[in-house]
Amino acid sequence: MDSDEEDFVFVGTPIEREEEINSRKKKALAETSGHLRTLPAWKQEVRDEEGRRRFHGAFTGGFSAGFYNTVGSKEGWTPQSFSSSWKSRAEVKKQSVLDFLDEDEKAEMEGHLLGTSSQFDTFGFTAAELARKRAEKEQKQRPSAIPGPVPDELVAPATESVGLFSDTANVFSKQILHYYLEHASCHLLGVKLLLKMGWRRGRSIKDSGSNSVHGTLLNPFLKFDVRREARKAFLALSSSDKPDGSEPVVSGPDDLIEEPATDGVQSSQCLPVYVRQPKQDLYGLGYDPYKHAPEFREMKRSCSSENKEIVIRKPFSSKHGPVASKSRRLAPGFGIGALEELDVEDEDIYASGYDYAETYVLDDKEPSGTLEDCQKRAGKDLGFVPRFKIASNSGYQLERFEPPIVPSDFVARHKFPALLDTNNLTSSQSPPEVPPPEDNNLKVMIEGVAALVARCGKLFEDISKEKNKSNPLFDFLNGGRGHDYYARKLWEAQQKHTDQIKWRPDEKLYCTVQKMTAESRGKILGERPLERSLKDSSSSASVEDHVHIQSNMSDTFTKPERELLETAKPFKDDPAKQERFEQFLKDKYQGGLRTTDSGKASNMTEAARARERLDFEAAAEAIEKAKSANQSKLSAQQFMEFTMAAGPRFTSGGVEHGKASSTEEVISKKVYPKREEFQWRPAPLLCKRFDIVDPFMGKPPPAPRARSKLDLMFTSDAAKITKSEDIIVSNDLLHIPSKSNENVVTEMEGKESEVAVEVENVERPVDLYKAIFSDDSDDEVEEAGVNQTEDPQKKTEAASAALSRLVASDFLESLGKELGLEVPPDVPPPTTKTGTSPSIRHVPEDSRATGAIPQDLPPSASLDNHGQPTIQGHIESKPLEHTVGNEDIDREKSPSSRKKNDNDVRPDTEDRRDRMAKYDRSSSSSEDGRSRKRFRRHRHRHSSSESDSSNSSEDRYRSRSRDHKRRSSRKKHRRRKHSKHK
Amino acid sequence: MSGEELPTKEANVLRGHGGAVLAARFNSDGNYCLSCGKDRTVRLWNPHRGIHIKTYKSHGREVRDVHVTQDNSKLISCGGDRQIFYWDVSTGRVIRKFRGHDSEVGSARKLVCFVLVKVNAVKFNEYASVVVSAGYDRSVRAWDCRSQSTEPIQIIDTFADSVMSVCLTKSEIIAGSVDGTVRTFDIRMGREISDNLGQPVNCISLSNDSNCILAGCLDSTLRLLDRCTGELLQEYEGHICKSYKLDCCLTNTDAHVTGGSEDGYIFFWDLVDATVVSRFRAHASVVTSVSYHPKDNCMITASVDGSIRVWKT
Repeated sequence: MDSDEEDFVFVGTPIEREEEINSRKKKALAETSGHLRTLPAWKQEVRDEEGRRRFHGAFTGGFSAGFYNTVGSKEGWTPQSFSSSWKSRAEVKKQSVLDFLDEDEKAEMEGHLLGTSSQFDTFGFTAAELARKRAEKEQKQRPSAIPGPVPDELVAPATESVGLFSDTANVFSKQILHYYLEHASCHLLGVKLLLKMGWRRGRSIKDSGSNSVHGTLLNPFLKFDVRREARKAFLALSSSDKPDGSEPVVSGPDDLIEEPATDGVQSSQCLPVYVRQPKQDLYGLGYDPYKHAPEFREMKRSCSSENKEIVIRKPFSSKHGPVASKSRRLAPGFGIGALEELDVEDEDIYASGYDYAETYVLDDKEPSGTLEDCQKRAGKDLGFVPRFKIASNSGYQLERFEPPIVPSDFVARHKFPALLDTNNLTSSQSPPEVPPPEDNNLKVMIEGVAALVARCGKLFEDISKEKNKSNPLFDFLNGGRGHDYYARKLWEAQQKHTDQIKWRPDEKLYCTVQKMTAESRGKILGERPLERSLKDSSSSASVEDHVHIQSNMSDTFTKPERELLETAKPFKDDPAKQERFEQFLKDKYQGGLRTTDSGKASNMTEAARARERLDFEAAAEAIEKAKSANQSKLSAQQFMEFTMAAGPRFTSGGVEHGKASSTEEVISKKVYPKREEFQWRPAPLLCKRFDIVDPFMGKPPPAPRARSKLDLMFTSDAAKITKSEDIIVSNDLLHIPSKSNENVVTEMEGKESEVAVEVENVERPVDLYKAIFSDDSDDEVEEAGVNQTEDPQKKTEAASAALSRLVASDFLESLGKELGLEVPPDVPPPTTKTGTSPSIRHVPEDSRATGAIPQDLPPSASLDNHGQPTIQGHIESKPLEHTVGNEDIDREKSPSSRKKNDNDVRPDTEDRRDRMAKYDRSSSSSEDGRSRKRFRRHRHRHSSSESDSSNSSEDRYRSRSRDHKRRSSRKKHRRRKHSKHK
Repeated sequence: MSGEELPTKEANVLRGHGGAVLAARFNSDGNYCLSCGKDRTVRLWNPHRGIHIKTYKSHGREVRDVHVTQDNSKLISCGGDRQIFYWDVSTGRVIRKFRGHDSEVGSARKLVCFVLVKVNAVKFNEYASVVVSAGYDRSVRAWDCRSQSTEPIQIIDTFADSVMSVCLTKSEIIAGSVDGTVRTFDIRMGREISDNLGQPVNCISLSNDSNCILAGCLDSTLRLLDRCTGELLQEYEGHICKSYKLDCCLTNTDAHVTGGSEDGYIFFWDLVDATVVSRFRAHASVVTSVSYHPKDNCMITASVDGSIRVWKT
């Protein structure tokens, strides 16, 4: 048809036929062309070409958008105030399509609105409508014999015919039957009736309606016919009770009469029996659990047919049934728009969407039997779970456990068996009094160990036994020499100990605390862990060795007697002195192990020491008097004495809590505040903003910690030393310790030294001179002493200070030499701990090399190599000799003991070396540290090989002639000085 | 010195904060004071007349510290919302927000990464060119006020725990941390001095002669340190400071040490003897902040109860 049209050639304007233009259109045309155009805007009506008012759209206001097609309102334009939908969610107005449709559209739409589905379509509206639609469609698709739209009358539903015709009763009866059929398939009687009347399953009862299609008048015959049929059916019903309607018969005699043109109508007659299978399960809509397992379906069906009546009684099955049937017809995701027709496309094209991929059979087989059913309902009423019945007797009983019975003799405190052990041990046997062994050292040793063991329990003995198995000195532990004495001493100490315990009122607490190990106690008190002594593992086990261990131990532990002595602190203002005083007191009143004076007092001159000692004696006497006078303080004093008698401070664990905490406080006060210094690089911009010159001049940091601690210490020592000078100083420093060794070596090179020395002098900074010549000495020395006790960091600081002083003194000598001045002999020599050790170390060597000092010079005399009277040296070095006991054994010191003493010194030097190595480590990253390090390494190597020959070192150092010169010159001065003083 | 000269009479009560006041500070000449608190505002007051002048709102969380420049033109404030706000005093606008302490530095521990880092303290330097802030992220950061950069000039992250308080001198940054250290960063010398007090440091304040640091520790003790030697000069005890960040300071003459207590008391100690010269109940609740007038005998205290009180002799 289209192609035909293309061939037409139109000439002229086609004349519109009058009848095609309806009146509305004419009116519209007239209006647009006429006077309406001149009307003001708000009076004009927009109309389409059909003459209808323009419909602006469902959502924009119907016929007139806004107010006369403006955005205003009668009152003017007022914007709608915003109201939050958050709070008024429920009040959101629901718009329906109908709100936006006009009458004709509504009328048009009517059929497409949601209507009663045909199953429940009592009066057949929807079915008829559907039928009409389908007919229309079919008619459109194929060329029909009768052109034009199908007259409505043809497919007029039964209602119309009801209106039209008189036999309403008939139609109604049929529709009611239909209803029955659809809704209650169980109403078998009705079905039977209808079947007898000629109705077949699947067929509409409206066939009478369709009959009415043919003639607009329903003939009374038909009516009669129907009635007759009914009567026949009744008769048949009486005769045969079983219907055979399982298979619907498609065509009845009525259908045969139908004309071909009403095919569509016929299709509408065949109503699908939708409610054949009402939804009885709990699956989702459209879900078929038996999709892939049809065999189960049979089982289920047979099952469900058994208890059909129960199923029917279920309320939800009948409720959900129609929904299921309805939604099965329509595609799930696509609602039918208000303006759309219900098309084929809309029907079930996504039906597969219902079929879920995973199918699993939920075979909820329902129990048969009405009794159970009744029970179930009863249970539901009572609030029980369905299909469960209340047990008549319950096996569950609340189990109760009685609280454990506390034995009547239970004491809520733990008794420590170990303590009992020791107590029993002490009370059991008392070993016979044994004379102490001749060896004084051994005696001291034994006493100390015994005291320790008494304090700390058997465990300590075991440990020390274990530790010193190979050590002949500790033979007494294993039953060797001096064991008897040890046993006696141990018993004594234990006796004393238990006395103390008994005497103490808070014995219980004490005991529990007392059994703690040293570590745990130390932990509680915040002590640093015990350091292994340097020579601990070495094979050469001398008394001094163990003494070192002891001293190390005592260093790690707190001094409980400190706060006990608080009452008697004659040197409060001078903590270092006070400390020495305490040490002195301890030495005076307590036996036991003695430590070498670990540098506390060694940085004093001998004379000063002697003076101090006298002071101490006086003070101690005064205290003693006060003690005896003050009886109330007895207990504390006793305790103090007791703790002191026990030797190293393993004792304070037994102190009651308050005391412990006070000790802790003392510690914390002592430890804190702790000052550390690091390098820190301010950002250049920060310096700029602070208006400060960048101390690093924007140099990138070479390493995280660039400046060594040594440098910092030097800067703090002499605060005004600038950086470059600093380097020189430290370099100088590094040369000096090795110098004294060089003395031995490079004597012969001493001649050409003077020039080099002068050069050196030029290099020396003024500040160093100041530092040397200014009156520093005493208080600073003491400070250093204090620092040493405080922490290792301070110790190193002090050591470095001592080193610098050493440098200074040495330099002073050489300077004096150069200036031709006599160095005053009574210049206080730098006698810090580290300061003395080099001289101790070197002087004998010197003497050996030069022969200036006799070999058999007592070692104590070698301490005062700067011209102190030797006798005084003897006296004053007494504090140094604590190791060997109270008595002054210097005088009758045997060569062997002297040797021992030499050995005694050595750890010191090693100590120092170690410290220097620490500096090395700390400064390893510094910019200038590398060269320095090299120096040091040389020095160390040298000092380690100090005792053996000079030749090798000579070779090693020959290349560095400048250093040699300097050293040799200095050496010369030194030698001269020595010879002068000796 | 007798207690008569101490500001023990209440002159004014400044009310307005809707919640705990976390800090109250005099400005440099002592005519005004600033306060900040949990209500996320910074407020400017005239404490002598008891007038509320201005409120600065922009913070998203509590404001923990505020500081004003010497010329009273700019404010800096910080708080729980990680950012540092740089205000114009007169207009009340935020000039800049420094990006603040986020835990990028602390990202070695990935867990900390997303924790909102609190900034505990801020201070201007003398020229108001740099702001130094101390934060929960264990760092002290310096921010440039002159450039437009919102990145820190420098991050100092040698602390082992949250940094609670910061002080500035002409050439040093001093900060106290919960790790128990008071660290002095000497820009001139390029070194860091760490004084370990062994107790968490809550607040540090400089003496007026800048020779001493007063450190408020969480063991209910104020400690006075000599800055040169690091020596512990004195300890002041009697108050309660165990769980809150309480301020402490020295009086204008450096004769007394003052600080708040968690029971609402204010304490005055003699600087030398460490005896409690005066103590009185000032607030109903924890006294979070004290600030002493730079010249007069006047003090302001702020408390959790939301009031700021002005004390005069």
